[in-house]
Amino acid sequence: MILLIQTLILGIALGGVYALMGSGLSLIFGVMRIVNLAHPSLIMIGAYVAYWPFRLSNIEPMFMLPVAAIILACIGAILYRFVFEREARSAKYSEMTVLLTFALAMVVEGMLGTAFTNTQRITSPNYATEAFFLADIFIPKGQLYASIISIIIISALALFLKYSRLGYAIRATTENREAAELLGVNVNRVGLISFAIGLALAGAAGALVSFIFSFFPSKHWEWIVILMSLVVLGGMGSILGTVIGAFLLSAVAALVGTYFGATWSTLTFFIALFVVLLVRPQGLFGEKPELA
Amino acid sequence: MSKLLEATGVVAGYGDGPAILNGADLSVHPRKVHCIIGPNGAGKSTLLKAIVGMLKVRKGDVRYKGESLKGLRPDKILRKGICFVPQERALFPKMTVRENLRMGGYSITNDSYLNNRIGEIEEQFPILKERHSQHAGTLSGGQQQILSMARTMILKPEIVMLDEPSLGLAPKIVREVFGVMQMMAKEGITIILVEQNALMGLKYSDWGVVLDLGRSLFDGPAQEILEDPRIQELYLGGMKDKP
Repeated sequence: MILLIQTLILGIALGGVYALMGSGLSLIFGVMRIVNLAHPSLIMIGAYVAYWPFRLSNIEPMFMLPVAAIILACIGAILYRFVFEREARSAKYSEMTVLLTFALAMVVEGMLGTAFTNTQRITSPNYATEAFFLADIFIPKGQLYASIISIIIISALALFLKYSRLGYAIRATTENREAAELLGVNVNRVGLISFAIGLALAGAAGALVSFIFSFFPSKHWEWIVILMSLVVLGGMGSILGTVIGAFLLSAVAALVGTYFGATWSTLTFFIALFVVLLVRPQGLFGEKPELA
Repeated sequence: MSKLLEATGVVAGYGDGPAILNGADLSVHPRKVHCIIGPNGAGKSTLLKAIVGMLKVRKGDVRYKGESLKGLRPDKILRKGICFVPQERALFPKMTVRENLRMGGYSITNDSYLNNRIGEIEEQFPILKERHSQHAGTLSGGQQQILSMARTMILKPEIVMLDEPSLGLAPKIVREVFGVMQMMAKEGITIILVEQNALMGLKYSDWGVVLDLGRSLFDGPAQEILEDPRIQELYLGGMKDKP
């Protein structure tokens, strides 16, 4: 019983971070219909932004979180303007972006590999190796802090989308791009801003990931499966769905890891992706795909 | 009569495809209801889309209060006071009724003014007030149509263009929708209506335009069109002569 509770707690403690990693992906898909396969490679950049200051002058990775977010937001704005905006009106846009972002992921991986080699890195602030104890159960501090910060950031995002003027424009563009344009929304600017926000979330996630997982440039291929499966489970484009998908899958993966062995735990995400696409392709909160 | 909006020799089509409009003309008189009729594929919707900037005007010109609208983005044209309610109603189904109204006033940056306007519109349309927290996607077809028309009124527009507001609605509901249109006209909004049900559209209109094969064939008072035997024969199904 203790083992079960312990496993669930470890799973849930990771869920928040997965949710933050996936929320940017989901937002960008929702607004722009861009399937951003490069998202995890951009999270990786965020991780390096947190890593080097820690390694060189012991700067707390949490301090680097806003810096990573801002750097990634700028990268996002530039990428959007020069790469993604051009073809935004194409009917095959989503399909095109799969190839485009795949290439982008390779470029980022190559650049990171050249600059920092494929050595495994991790930031190790004290709390990353400490834990809270409740009787026989332990909660790792690093994961707990990271999850709490993730949930705070996602809540802020949700409030922003729900109540701000720009949030209205982003939601409206997500639901019906043409109608939003007819009501006076500059959909191109909304696209640019959403893309930048999506990547800022990737940057923030990167800073948190830097003390939870060891990372190296090509590790993003492992993450894309995890992110895709939880975003697809939640319903592409739904932030709430992404959060629920993240907690669900991360808890299940932890259970699988405990009872069937850690090697099987990653398989959970593959199987989930497979099953969701077969059984309920629109996910928990997504739109039913139209039969064209 | 002075003209509020004038389209002359408009050539337009979708993407790189063939031209649907081959030199269409449209004269819009202030504070009147205009009905554009014509067979399927005549280019009625295309003309509206070209006016609001959703489609590129390849040749010809669209002038509003003496100023050309050619090449302007839809959001810029909206800010000049021209609203468009497309055929598919263009609501945001997962946003609430009130959030949809708020989106209608997206170009208003003064929050308290916007809230006042939403309040006024909700007074005018009690059904929208009653259902304000409901998702727009859960409304009936008629209610959705009324919401998308009411939404344009937030901005106090000069011109509202309605693309087939009666599409897919029961006759009783259609009359309700046309009632809303009359209410808008009474408030001084100029209306441009595209209607498949030509007879009904013309009856509710002051002015009629017959469009066929991408050209304007006739332009005159709606009553005259209703009584013109040639137009009856060709576009109204000769209904007046039938017992």
